[in-house]
Amino acid sequence: MEMNGFLLFAKRLTIFMLLVVVVDHIGGYALKKLYFSQEKGQFSQITYSLDSTKHEVLIFGSSRAIRHYSPAILAEKLNQSVYNVGMDGQMIPYYAALQEVILNRYTPEMIILDVTPWELNAGKAKYHKLSALLPYVDEHPELLKYISYTNDLELVKLYSHIYPFNSSLFIGLYNFILKNKLPDYDNGYLPLTRVMGEKGFKSQKAKSVYEAAAEEKRKDIYDKKAIALLHQFLKKADEKNIKTWVVISPVIFSNSFNSTKLQKLKDIVSAYPKVTLYDYSQDTGFTDNFKLYADIFHLNKTGAELFTSRLANEIVK
Amino acid sequence: MLFNSLAFVAFYIIVTALYFLLPHRYRWLLLLTASCYFYMAFVPVYILILGGTIVIDYIAGIWIEKSKGKRRKNFLILSLIANIGVLCVFKYYNFINDNISLLFNNFHYQNPIPYLDIILPIGLSFHTFQAMSYTIEVYRGNTKAERHFGIYSLYVMFYPQLVAGPIERPQNILPQFHTEHRFDYDKMVSGLKLMLWGFFKKLVVADRLSIYVDSVFGHPSSHNGTTVALASLFFAIQIYCDFSGYTDIAIGCARTMGITLMKNFNRPYFSKSIKEFWSRWHISLSTWFRDYLYIPLGGNRVAIPRMYLNLLIVFTVSGIWHGASYNFVIWGFLHGVFLITASIFDRLKQKWGITYELPAFVNILITLLLVSVTWIFFRANTFGDAITMLSSLKTFGQTPFTGGINNMAHCLFAISILFLIEFKMEYFPGTLNLFNHPKMWVRYTSMATLVFIILLFGVFSGGQFIYFQF
Repeated sequence: MEMNGFLLFAKRLTIFMLLVVVVDHIGGYALKKLYFSQEKGQFSQITYSLDSTKHEVLIFGSSRAIRHYSPAILAEKLNQSVYNVGMDGQMIPYYAALQEVILNRYTPEMIILDVTPWELNAGKAKYHKLSALLPYVDEHPELLKYISYTNDLELVKLYSHIYPFNSSLFIGLYNFILKNKLPDYDNGYLPLTRVMGEKGFKSQKAKSVYEAAAEEKRKDIYDKKAIALLHQFLKKADEKNIKTWVVISPVIFSNSFNSTKLQKLKDIVSAYPKVTLYDYSQDTGFTDNFKLYADIFHLNKTGAELFTSRLANEIVK
Repeated sequence: MLFNSLAFVAFYIIVTALYFLLPHRYRWLLLLTASCYFYMAFVPVYILILGGTIVIDYIAGIWIEKSKGKRRKNFLILSLIANIGVLCVFKYYNFINDNISLLFNNFHYQNPIPYLDIILPIGLSFHTFQAMSYTIEVYRGNTKAERHFGIYSLYVMFYPQLVAGPIERPQNILPQFHTEHRFDYDKMVSGLKLMLWGFFKKLVVADRLSIYVDSVFGHPSSHNGTTVALASLFFAIQIYCDFSGYTDIAIGCARTMGITLMKNFNRPYFSKSIKEFWSRWHISLSTWFRDYLYIPLGGNRVAIPRMYLNLLIVFTVSGIWHGASYNFVIWGFLHGVFLITASIFDRLKQKWGITYELPAFVNILITLLLVSVTWIFFRANTFGDAITMLSSLKTFGQTPFTGGINNMAHCLFAISILFLIEFKMEYFPGTLNLFNHPKMWVRYTSMATLVFIILLFGVFSGGQFIYFQF
């Protein structure tokens, strides 16, 4: 009786597992088609960055890169083609992965990397966000080592064909259906047009004093892996003789960054003599000038274009 | 080891397979070893604390049974002191010390008592309460003292319910460890289905909502009343799916091995009153407090003011059980106040002969609203944050923060599926049972769809279960 029950269970479990495999294959195929058919939106932006960029200048970074650097202004002043491969919510591990794939395909003449000392903070979130690269591992197996930083068993999940497209269905459908209504990325640049209000600025400013004081007291716990990946990024650029500018773009409060961590970031960059660092975090043209910001983390379009012009002038010098 | 990890899936398959391969006499050893491994995956050294209390309670149980009169009581007190002592040191020491510091500061003195730099052992309150339940039941003569040290250890450490319950009673679970459980097809299948549903609740609903909830509760002063109300409602659903999802996995996991754990949740947000809510929410804890605190205090068999005081005491202690912070105290106290207020209303209605009842759905909404307000204290990082959020409710009606259209769409999608299924289970329990449909293809397709939904919409960043911290 017990054996019969077990055999029945084993038989039905096998049938069910086969059904799951079929659903996974069909679902994964349909999702892949939908994902790669998108012409606009952030997914198509990643696809283009990985597979199609051939510009002379590439801008890497987080949402601060996408919102702060106008390729058109840089292109005009530098007289070179420029593309912004920044991505919302991503940090050092993503840029490192993206750079490796791109450099395997071609060598740009110049790289601008927007980075903040926040990215050196310990924390797993920056690795979990690497899931944005999951749809690309079939074509770019070099991404697997970065994906494995998420957790030890992350690669096992890739046996599923659906999992790489986790959480992408709604945004994929949205991008696909509303493609004519979506804003165009201007060579990867997607500025924010709103202007921060004075009331919001003042309340955040008051809060920032306490937060900065607390941050200064906090122990300096660094993300060693992120630091290693930043070194890897700079080293790869160095090895390929790519002119590299590491830029800390403007922040609304001069106390936004922990001074020790800011110095740590500068120390890392200083290990590469051919790399130039520009720090705009204390630039009084931008700090406290809330009309140039969309929110406490991002410049608005006016601020971004003012900043890009100044940066371009510095680079041209 | 987290239930929502691939490591657990592998662990579960190996342990369950070995469980059925081994003869009954060795199964306790397998389960105990597996439970030790499971617990040590968090902070290994804390197994020594667990081991210490197991030894004390095991000996206390036997001595309580053998003794008579005052000695019997003394052994019970010894066991309770050991258990509560461990709780006090690891969970409440720094909280108590904070309050002492506050008191000293008022008189311009420095508190000389040092703080402890320790991490709270995972699930401490759960296994401590389960251990206390054992010695109390032995003292009351409701169960015999367990002579088999391994089986007793397993009673405290059984891995499915070790870190977040259900808080079991010895009468229910100890005999099950002595009984041989043969492979049972129905139990295996229904256990696995329950586990799958638990994974859905945790990965698709709870962890998705947590993205929005964390962003709002993390910056309470930056959000308007509509956002705070939405985040509070989302947290109510998040904590339900997080905790009941864990419980479903625990119960399902035990059931596949033939062991029946008690029900811990019964769709609490369909409750029509706070009293009903507490008969549907964390049932194993509320019955624990009822049996071991409320009734010994006099329960309902005392004068009404005393009964109300008892209620307040029980719910405040329940708040403290959750965590060493005034937010939890207020959370528990508010539930006590709501229960007392409802009781006063009922008495006045009876006295004045009012028979009118509000429609059921209005009562459900009022209960959900009250519970959601108390969750603000439960979830807020500080008391100040909770007050900031409550005061921001006056701006209710302004456009809410969405936290990104994609995440909001996922939240609403997950809540819709949960609501539809729970609504059907609550009001139409006998109809459209897709998971238990007589036709095999319907059962399999519905389960495969759930797997598809988990893979596509689940959050796999390994979010900790909220109740582990208690």
